[in-house]
Amino acid sequence: MSRPLRKLLDKAGMAVCVLLLVSPALLFFIWMLSLSLKFEIDNGAYPPILIPDRFAWKNYTTIFEGNSFLLYFWNSLIVTGAATLFALLVGVPAGYGIARMRAHKSAVVIMIARMTPGLSFLIPLFLLFQWLGLLGTLWPQIIIHLVVTVPIVIWIMIGYFETTPMELEEAAMVDGATRWQIFAKVALPIAKPGIVVAFILSVIFSWNNFVFGIVLASRETRTLPVAVYNMLSFEQVSWGPLAAAALVVTLPVLILTVAAQRQIVAGLTAGAVKGG
Amino acid sequence: MASVSIRNVRKSYGPVEIIKGVSIDIQDGEFVILVGPSGCGKSTLLRMIAGLEEISGGTIAIDDRIVNDMPPKDRDIAMVFQNYALYPHMTIADNMSFALRLKNTAKSEIAAKVERAADILGLGPLLGRFPRQLSGGQRQRVAMGRAIVRDPKVFLFDEPLSNLDAKLRVQMRTEIKEMHQRLKTTTVYVTHDQIEAMTMADKIVVMHDGIIEQIGAPLDLYDNPANMFVAGFIGSPAMNFIPGSIGGDGFTTESGDRLPLGGRVPAASDGRPAVYGVRPEHFRLADEGMAAEVVVVEPTGSETQMVLRPLGAKAGREDRKRELTWVLRERTGAKPGEVVRIAPDPALAHLFNPDTGLRL
Repeated sequence: MSRPLRKLLDKAGMAVCVLLLVSPALLFFIWMLSLSLKFEIDNGAYPPILIPDRFAWKNYTTIFEGNSFLLYFWNSLIVTGAATLFALLVGVPAGYGIARMRAHKSAVVIMIARMTPGLSFLIPLFLLFQWLGLLGTLWPQIIIHLVVTVPIVIWIMIGYFETTPMELEEAAMVDGATRWQIFAKVALPIAKPGIVVAFILSVIFSWNNFVFGIVLASRETRTLPVAVYNMLSFEQVSWGPLAAAALVVTLPVLILTVAAQRQIVAGLTAGAVKGG
Repeated sequence: MASVSIRNVRKSYGPVEIIKGVSIDIQDGEFVILVGPSGCGKSTLLRMIAGLEEISGGTIAIDDRIVNDMPPKDRDIAMVFQNYALYPHMTIADNMSFALRLKNTAKSEIAAKVERAADILGLGPLLGRFPRQLSGGQRQRVAMGRAIVRDPKVFLFDEPLSNLDAKLRVQMRTEIKEMHQRLKTTTVYVTHDQIEAMTMADKIVVMHDGIIEQIGAPLDLYDNPANMFVAGFIGSPAMNFIPGSIGGDGFTTESGDRLPLGGRVPAASDGRPAVYGVRPEHFRLADEGMAAEVVVVEPTGSETQMVLRPLGAKAGREDRKRELTWVLRERTGAKPGEVVRIAPDPALAHLFNPDTGLRL
């Protein structure tokens, strides 16, 4: 078999494999897009229509009228924003401390906290918030999201700080810096890429979170994923508006992920190979 | 400027003792080089002087003040690292002024000191750039500039030239030596390259396995090595070691050749086994000398290095061990396979005890 032909077949084979792996996720999104643009009648049609004759733009407009959508968007923004901010303020120094002190046991404890199902904290924390009278506010959700965001930040920062060369900090020590000065002026600026990754992953996991919101949110304080769920009514499932709402909720995080994918991969694989 | 006193210093990592009781006295303004093979403890000792490693036993004093428990920032030292350790997110000027900015020094004073250091090292046009935009040699100069700006009591260098190519290394060696002559700051320098040690040091400390083998001026160590380790480590190509025994007024090698001792036979040692040491440049052609076959001829332009195998070498033993190196200033027409007769200069030969390695 000649080499150019071989190369072409290899490339084709690769393309087929990629297509097979990616298509479930991709097709799902394409179908959702299609659903969101169809009128009710077209939904049940057989054979299924992918691109309808008439686009049902009103599916999108109904989301924004009368459904307090902007309120829920604002709630999501506050909860995710606050949870991520607190996580960075606490998690970055924590990651630094654990990495420098080689406190592997602490790292394991945090890993266990990360892996424990959120539901196990939910009931005790719910009772606590009720007792503290916080239930009508966004605070319960912010606090419980910390359970998700803080371990992510700490884990990524541990990995990142472990790859920062010690020599730079030793040079700073000899130059006369105290521990805090070394952290603030040397370690932190160098760890900026890691902080960006931690920020992005924290936002992604917090924004999409559904379970905590269902239990802890009231009508005014629910976040976007919960709001979408509530669009399912008992009489009929209006697929069009539902699909449209789901897409709109997913959009911010999707854009963020696509825009930052290189940083995410770099942050997750930092230190795996020397010089990386 | 200051003196550095290292007294009986020990260092252990758990049960493993890395440094086993080392004492060195460094005078104010001296350029002392710690040299030795990898793993001998020289970098660890330097880091203990800097305060980057704990001292397990003994004392280190800078300017007569014991610094064992003092953090690096209070010791008034500056260090140049093997990998430069420049702050990547700061410009060259900021890198060099970092220590001064930490102390809230006046801006005008900072600018003056940075300019002075930049002048000494030729860094003027680079001040606004970042480390990633510089070559290896330039980065190393910035690292030195960062140290000069501090005007410390002691400069510490940790194998600073190891990452540079050969030509640059030679150039930087001269620059460092010039810098020392100009600034006269006490310097402790670590390297595994004995040529660096020989060309730059006022005093060399040869270390091996956590102990000091010998301390002395470069030519002292070259002419009068205290033991076989120092004799074989200092000088390139390395000294030839020929085992055999002392007999009569000379030395008999294992292969039966006679080598002269020039009347310097140690007392009561007839028949005693010993090792005859002679540097490659101390051989000459002699009709009455040892017969040896030329194995390889390596002309380097300024001199010729030849590897020779003595004819009397016993079969069965490793050939490599029997080979001798001879360095001549002249070009020679000798070819591999030829037999030549050479003899060492008896006045420049050394005798060592084969068991302890110490000179006789």
